[in-house]
Amino acid sequence: MKKLVSFLAFVLLLGLLSGCAEDKEEAVEQEETTKQTLKIGAIPDQDVSVLSRSMGEVADYLSAETGLEVEYVPSVDYAALVTAFERGEIQLAWFGGLTGVQARNRVPDAEAIAQRPRDEEFHSVFIAQKELGLKSLSDIKGKSFTFGSESSTSGHLMPRYYLMEEGINAEQDFNGNPSYSGSHDKTYKLVESGAFQTGALNEAVWEAAVAEGKVDTSKVDVFYTTPAYYDYHWTINTLEGYDSGVKQKITDALLSMDSEQQTILDLFQTDKFIETKNENYEAIEKVAKQIGIIK
Amino acid sequence: MKQSLRFQQKNILTLLLVLVFLWSLRVIDWKEPLLHPGGGATFLQIIEAMLHPNLSPEILLLALDSAWVTLTYAVAGMTIAIVIAVIFGVLASGVIQNSQHPLSMLSKRFFRGLLGFLRAIHELVWALLFVSAFGLTPYSAILAIAIPYGGILGRIFADMLSDVKKEPIQSLQSTGASKWQLLFYGYFPLVRANMISYTMYRFECAVRSSAVMSFVGLGGLGYQIQLSLDDLNYEEVWTFVLFLMAIVIVIDGWSSGWRSRLSKGSSRFSMLSFLLSLSLVIGSWMYLYKVEHASFFTLFTDENGEYAKKFFLSLLGIGEETPTFFSAQSWIHTLQLTYDTLMMSIIAIGMATIVMLITVVPAARNVANGKLTMSRSFFSWVSFLLIRASYILSRAVPELIWAMMIIFIFQPGILPGAVALALHNFGILGKLCAEVIEDLDERPIRHLSSSGASHAQILLYGVLPSVLPKFLSFILYRWEVIMRTTIVVGFVGAGGLGQQFKLSMSYFHYSDITLIILCYLLLVWLADFLSELSRKAAK
Repeated sequence: MKKLVSFLAFVLLLGLLSGCAEDKEEAVEQEETTKQTLKIGAIPDQDVSVLSRSMGEVADYLSAETGLEVEYVPSVDYAALVTAFERGEIQLAWFGGLTGVQARNRVPDAEAIAQRPRDEEFHSVFIAQKELGLKSLSDIKGKSFTFGSESSTSGHLMPRYYLMEEGINAEQDFNGNPSYSGSHDKTYKLVESGAFQTGALNEAVWEAAVAEGKVDTSKVDVFYTTPAYYDYHWTINTLEGYDSGVKQKITDALLSMDSEQQTILDLFQTDKFIETKNENYEAIEKVAKQIGIIK
Repeated sequence: MKQSLRFQQKNILTLLLVLVFLWSLRVIDWKEPLLHPGGGATFLQIIEAMLHPNLSPEILLLALDSAWVTLTYAVAGMTIAIVIAVIFGVLASGVIQNSQHPLSMLSKRFFRGLLGFLRAIHELVWALLFVSAFGLTPYSAILAIAIPYGGILGRIFADMLSDVKKEPIQSLQSTGASKWQLLFYGYFPLVRANMISYTMYRFECAVRSSAVMSFVGLGGLGYQIQLSLDDLNYEEVWTFVLFLMAIVIVIDGWSSGWRSRLSKGSSRFSMLSFLLSLSLVIGSWMYLYKVEHASFFTLFTDENGEYAKKFFLSLLGIGEETPTFFSAQSWIHTLQLTYDTLMMSIIAIGMATIVMLITVVPAARNVANGKLTMSRSFFSWVSFLLIRASYILSRAVPELIWAMMIIFIFQPGILPGAVALALHNFGILGKLCAEVIEDLDERPIRHLSSSGASHAQILLYGVLPSVLPKFLSFILYRWEVIMRTTIVVGFVGAGGLGQQFKLSMSYFHYSDITLIILCYLLLVWLADFLSELSRKAAK
């Protein structure tokens, strides 16, 4: 009996606690909505530490420019970011070509607003262990191979497309099935460490890795670069419940970055952001449909 | 005559299982190299890093923090699981229903079926589904733990309640106790010790499950392991793995202490343990409310309901021209993957069994101290400790994390998945089976040993015949568990249904998911059925 009483008391206590927490929660939320927190996100396509530094800086900059509270929300995989964007938990996101298309298919009123000049003509690189001596894309047959994330444009979609154009079936013509490493950085690290013989990744990440000496080019190097396609861009959500001018303010803030914001631009490996529009990514969508990623 | 037939039945079953294992090996293309060209080197890097984990203060602090998050989610998940288990367990046991009423039989069946469904799907699959439906809140992880664990605990509680000795209950009944009084004063006190001991065992498992929840983006030790693996920083990986091992070992020690005290009836330790678990529960929920600002009731907003509805409708393929599960071609493709997954589970349990059989004899305490074999040596203590340490390492690291490392070494496909599953399970099997040997009747084996039998001969003629039925039953039981977990190792690229599941989630092909889950449930039920059948034959 004593135990029963103490158990009931405990349940009551829990109920009270949850009650208190509930009230506080609501109070906090109300405060937040009056302040209008803007949440931004980015696909986790490279080292998490680098990404959180650059996105943190963007958040601070946007906050200063727009007067809103801006917060960076990290996410573990590409699909998680698209889902969060659809649910309105993220208002502004740095997407790749494919994730941007997926997101705008799920939120039809979302808009692609800005990109880097290089994103108009983006490339993927195919890398291989140097000792293999690969010369052209068709040499890749019979080697072990890794893509990046399955949702990546430059790490999966476009490499797979150009392999297909070359007549290479990714499921049959490699040594074993292709792997999905998860990120561009991991792809070159795995090829360098010897775990895989070849891989495909984003040209910008590769160039940065070479410039910063993160990769040993005497062990692994590029043997093929794909033709150009549209890739990374900022996409803005519908911003329901925000003041009407916010969307323009954010767009202007992104497009007006210059040498004063050099640290941010450096982290994005660019000197400015330029305009873009949803139609630029129709080719990506077509390829995604052809490969069966989008139905 | 009858006895020899039974004996034959056991041998035939063993032979059959060995044949099934050998046949399953055919799926792997042995002519192709199994390792990556650089797999060996990567393997050495991982092993080397194990010898000197990164013990810098900031990593240790980070590990401590993540360990707390992992523990919190596990405790919170178990709290809800216990509530589910007690309510549904009582209903499924039929002790409060009127046994004469025809409906009561039906309701008992219904709740048993419900518990079976809850436990059929692996917690990580629940987590992925909840994240899509509710978003990234700690409750996605907590509910994902609560549901399957509620199912498993509920089933065990129901079995315990219906196996209660009838005499005490009848005597209570004769004094005019009502159904509820019978439950609280008759049934519960009788099964309390067993319930606590099984719950503690499941709690240890829940900590491991909680660690892998990070895979879907919910924090904790697993998240840190994943980040370190992404940077190929194996020294950090081992630090976090050591923390996970430490939690598992502490809980293991605590629960076995509590269990032995419960059977002896020492109330002081039990009271202390009870208070400790209570404060863990309160502390965890407080942490969730205060620090993570996660209130349970904010889950049920209109907005969340809208998204959850949308998600479940797309699972059903509504609004799609031809949902995947109406296309014959998709069925063929998915059934092929289902077959691969089945083979993966058989290879996994086969490998785990082989390693267990090789190591189990020296791993038994009564072999190490020479009581069983009448030969004492320093060497047998060393091998005992080494093997027991490898068992702990093996089972403390969840399958998914083994798989994440192994995928760097083996070619993608079902073999790395099977190896990861085998690595996690040989430790569990080894521990369970070593305990069986420890409980053996020592006399026949001493006799063999004193007449000069070698280790192999002792194993073959002395140990194996008497422990075989129990071993078989443990192996079959682990096979059921492995079957549920095959889908999870697939998430990181180890092939089969899991890999397709992950890809379809990334591409938002939700009606594919429904088809994959259907096939997965089919496998799980098939495994349960076959294992039940074989266990009966082995008895």
